[in-house]
Order: sequence, then structure tokens, then C-alpha cells
Amino acid sequence: MRQKALSALILALISLSCGPKTGVVEIHDWNFGGMPKLMEWLRQRVDSFERRYPGIKVVQSQKSWNMIRELLYADFSAGAGPDVVNVHANYAAEFGEAGHYYPLNKFPDFEEVRKWYVPHFLQSTRYKDNYYGLPSSAIAFVLVCNKDLFDKEGIAPPKTWSQFREAAKRLTKDTDGDGVADQHGLVLLGGDKGGFAYRLAPFLYKAGVNIMSEDLTRIEFNSPRGVATVKLFADMYQLDHSITPGFLAYTLSEMNDLFCSNRAAMSIEGPWFRGMVGEKSPGKDFYAVPVPVPDDMVDQYDTAPTLQDMVMYSINARSKHLNEAWELVKYLRNEEADMAWIRNDLGAIATTDYALNSPEAKQVRDLPMYVNELKHARPWPAHPNIIAIANNVIAPYGQKAIVGELSPQEAMDQAADEARRIIEGKK
Amino acid sequence: MKKSTPYVLLGPALLFTAFVLVYPLFQNLINSFKDVSLVRSGGGWVGLRNYAHVFDDSLFWLSFRNTAVYAVAGTLLALLIGLGFALLLNLKIGRISHVAAALYTIPWVISPVVAGFAWKWLLNDNFGIVNHWLSSAGIARGGFAWLGDPRTALFCVIVARVWQFYPFAMVMFLAGLQAIPLEQYEAAAVDGATPLRRFFHITLPNLRSISSVLLLLGVIWSFNDFNMVFVMTRGGPINSSMVLPVLVREFSFVHFDLGKGSALSIVVFTLLLFLSLLYLRVAPRKDAT
Repeated sequence: MRQKALSALILALISLSCGPKTGVVEIHDWNFGGMPKLMEWLRQRVDSFERRYPGIKVVQSQKSWNMIRELLYADFSAGAGPDVVNVHANYAAEFGEAGHYYPLNKFPDFEEVRKWYVPHFLQSTRYKDNYYGLPSSAIAFVLVCNKDLFDKEGIAPPKTWSQFREAAKRLTKDTDGDGVADQHGLVLLGGDKGGFAYRLAPFLYKAGVNIMSEDLTRIEFNSPRGVATVKLFADMYQLDHSITPGFLAYTLSEMNDLFCSNRAAMSIEGPWFRGMVGEKSPGKDFYAVPVPVPDDMVDQYDTAPTLQDMVMYSINARSKHLNEAWELVKYLRNEEADMAWIRNDLGAIATTDYALNSPEAKQVRDLPMYVNELKHARPWPAHPNIIAIANNVIAPYGQKAIVGELSPQEAMDQAADEARRIIEGKK
Repeated sequence: MKKSTPYVLLGPALLFTAFVLVYPLFQNLINSFKDVSLVRSGGGWVGLRNYAHVFDDSLFWLSFRNTAVYAVAGTLLALLIGLGFALLLNLKIGRISHVAAALYTIPWVISPVVAGFAWKWLLNDNFGIVNHWLSSAGIARGGFAWLGDPRTALFCVIVARVWQFYPFAMVMFLAGLQAIPLEQYEAAAVDGATPLRRFFHITLPNLRSISSVLLLLGVIWSFNDFNMVFVMTRGGPINSSMVLPVLVREFSFVHFDLGKGSALSIVVFTLLLFLSLLYLRVAPRKDAT
């Protein structure tokens, strides 16, 4: 008798703990990456959303930035996954084509909502005729120059490739006199294929190189300028020894350590870098400037495109609560919410006209430079295979060229062949 | 007790095993004959095409070679070091032997992921203690990129693997050493055998079966080892330390070609199955006298 009563009690407790609260809709929201400050702001914003919409409960999860594709594909392919997710906008094409994201333009008030955003930012979330996300934050890749080292050497941040190479050479030094350079001109992120591709692409774009043709049918990054871009890094690594020798193993955290400890003078980063550096080394300063251009393009230094990256909020096409998810996305990305990107250093640039033109925006360091860079910047081509091409082709072949395993021409030609096979569906 | 009772009692365990082991294995086998991709539609039968793609891929052969080197070199070195420490501990020099035995087994009980991260920092080119020691001792100049250099990355993961596996070998060898009858050594001493001859003619022959088991187990575990390599190098730089378990992940969850990933995992499974059968033949049987 006692056993039966105990079993009944356990069953009742299990059913109570597992069952959803009556009348409350549960929305699952996945966030990839982000700084602690951003996570804290998101938590507060979601709390405020739940108070405003008592019928909706939001379950937030923090996921690794490096695992975006694995996690999303694994879940989406199984017909599961979160209702709301914030990811790179260049996933719009890949996941939109695969039918995993819900086209936001199907919501009746989308035309009103779209007016919040800087138009070319919203364009980054578009694939074919659909918009698969609301811009969350914008990123332009720039060159960061270690102020301590540049000032000590008495040189200005470089604008052209030859200035860049010369600066890197001058800033490569053996500071402790043991015969080995312990300070290098440039640090590259080589331990993360995606991260490496994202740092090579700004130089390719600034040199006028197209990754793919406008109609997305041809691979074009192995043009003479594309090969010259890779050769620039190969020469710096093999001839000048001005790139950190161990870059192939570095993650973002190791790069940050080198920069903060004055062992690296330059890196290719974005608006997140000031927060990262500030966290590790409070008071450390650096110049954030546009990525250098080839010498004959110096007049386009401020106008040649860099790589634009955008984080967007998207909705799972299989979500059972599309309307509630849409309300959450709007609440997280409306003009009022976007002011958080102006008031706090959240590691990226605001995306609404309202926030960018607010009086407070004038106080934000580097913002005019980032806004100008973003005005001209280009995202990765909106091709469904672009992530595979960037991570699995451009990155490894670029690395092989830099360390001398292949010549720049061979590397870029082989990469282009492989990328072609990918877009033709042969690989 | 009814005749069927044992089977009824075993039922849940068998069902659970079937669910978590047999079903995934068969599904994997099926996937290896199909065009399964997470990023595009497919799913049709393709016969042996995935296997052909695996064997055509130069990365497979590089990974196979790396895995073989990692498994064999890592295990042999661990066995040698484990035997050395076991011989030292077998001398039973007071209480220090117990303390040393406890200290020597620490690497074995540390999670491979934690160990991988620790080794990554030890070998860091700028801040790692290994470079600091080497340059302080005047052996090498500082700043060598152990994990960032394609020539040394595999060697480094082998060192980490040896560090993690030698305590197991040491414990097994120590047990083996303590089981050798003392009379054999006494008789050899009476016959005037030197310590070296006693080692080669008594100790080593008595440890032969343990050595075979350890060698096979070490190779099997290393062949299947994902954590250490993934944490330390992710198979890089430029695939120089790519091993088969990491390549399975690369095919399946980086290229999202589950068909090819499944085919490769079946190849690895077959290799391991062969080694396991060999182990079953070599391992001392309970009923053996």
C-alpha cells in the first residue's frame, strides 16, 4: 500500500514538473557567441518582454559561436531546433534555401518593421525574394593597430599594402635579445578556419576581388588581385617573418593575449575587439582603421569595401509559435532595443537609423569610421554554399599559400576549382 | 525459478543496449550506402560510392597514416615509460613508493579534454612553460610554435597521449611484476645471472602477455581517440595532425556529408573490430592455467 502511494506521488511530481503551464506559450531562443555584457542585456530584455507578454515564456540558451552550423543543422534536420535564433546573416541564403528559416516578409506588419533599419543592412538578410532575419548588429572588419607599439616606433597606421608590410616589418622585433623575434607585426587567426576566412576576405574585397560573380554562377577569387592578396601575406610570413609563426594554432583568445601583451602590433578585427581588449587589459588602447588597399588604390582607402558581417534574428520555419516568436524578435530588435548598442559597448554596431542618428551616437568611439566602412562594405556572396566555400576551401588553401606549402597561384587556383565543384554540386 | 526468468530480467538491459548501440550502428551502416547530407536533399541509395569517395580522398590516407603513427608510437612509448616506472616502483623503497605510485597515476585520471587544454597551454609558443624551460636551459631558442607548425603538431599530440596512457601501463606492469615468483629470481641469482640477464630472461618473458594486451588496448583506444587531438589541434595545422575520428567529424559535421562520414566510421569500426578480435585471442583467458 505504502509502495503504491509512493509511486503515485512520484508520478504526480513527474507530470507536474514536465507539463507546460496552462495557457503559457514557451519560446526557445538560442544565442550564439556574444560578450558577457550582451548576454546580460539580453537576459534583462527578455525579462522585460515576459512582463509585457505574460502569456509567453522565453527559454534562452547560450551556444558556442564555433558550433553554429553543426548545432543548427543537426536540430533543424531532425525537425527540431529553437523558435528564435541569432546567427550570421550570411546563413540567410544557406538556411533559407534549405527551408529552415521562416520568411519574415510573410508577417503582415513586416513593411512597417523594415523601415526601422538602415536599408543595406536589411538587404544582408535577404535571399531571393525573402527576408530571413531582422538585423541584430553590424560588423565591419578593420585593421587594429597596437597604439603602444605604433607610437613607440613613431609610425602611423598603414593605408596601403606597402605601408602595411613595412609597418609589420618594423614592428617585428627581438625585444629580449635572445636572438628570436618575440614581437610580431601581424597576428592572424589560423586555428579557426571560419575566423581565418573572415580575416582574409576584407583584404580581398579591399583589393577589388570578387569571391563570386554577381549572378553567383562563377568563382572569381583567383583573379590576379586575389592571388596578389594571398602573396602579400605569404611574403610577410615567409620572407619578412613579420606574422606570428604559430598563427596556424591560434584562437581568438590567444590572439587577444598576444595583442594585449604587446607581442603583436596588428590584427584584423571588428567592433568587438575594444571590449575584448578592455576586459583583458583595462586601459590598453589601439587605433581602429580601415583595412589597407593596394598601393594603386590609395584614393579608395575609405571607400573600397571591406567585409561586412551581420548578426540577425531569425525564426525557425517549423516553429509552432510563429506569431509569438515574431513578437519576441521585434521586441529584441526594435529601435528602443537598438539603443543598447549605442549606450553600451556590446561588440557590434547598431542597425537602425534611429540609433545611429541619435545624439548619443556621436559620443561612441570609432562609430563614424565603422558607419562609413559599413556604408561601402559587402557581405559574403548570398550563395547557399558560401560558408562551406569560406571555411573548407578559402581558409585551408589560403593557409597553405601563406606557409609555403603551395604557391599563391597554385593555392588560389586549386581553391577555385574546389569551390566550383561545390557550387556545381559535384562535391 | 522459471526457465524464462533470466531472459526477462536481462530484457531491459538488452533492449537498452540495442537502442544505444545496435540501432545507431545499423543506421550508420545504412547511411554509409546512401547519399545523406544535412544541407541538401538526397537520401537515395548510392551503393559503395561513399566508400569510393573515402578511399579516393587523399585526406583519408593522410589521416590513416597519422592515426597509425599516433596509435603505435604513442602506445609503444607509453609502454616503455610505464614499464620503467613499474620497475622503479617494484623496488619498494619505503613509503615513497606509495606516494610516487599515486602521483604517477594522476595523468590517467584527468579528463582528456582537460589534459588537452593543459597541454595546449604548456606548448603555447609565446606563454608556454615548455618553451620557457627549453630557452632557460639553452636547449632551444624561445618562441617555437609546437602546435602551429605542421612538422611538430602530430609529435606534440603523441607526447600528450603518452603522458595520459603510461600510468595505465605502469599499473598493469606493476601488477605483472608482483606476480612473478621470487624463486625464479633466486634461482637465477644462484646461477650467477646478472640483473640485466634476469630482466631479459625472467622479467620480460613473464610480462609478455600483459605487454601484448596493453599494446592492443593502447592501439585500439588511440585509434578511437578523438578528444586529445581535437582539443589540442583540431587536426591542424593544415591537416598535419588529422586522425580518423576527427576526420569523421570533419566529413559529417563540417562538410555535412553524413554518407561519407558514416562510410569512414564504418571503415574505422571494421579496423577496430579486427583489433578487438585480436585482443580477445591474445588476452589471458580466465580458464587458462
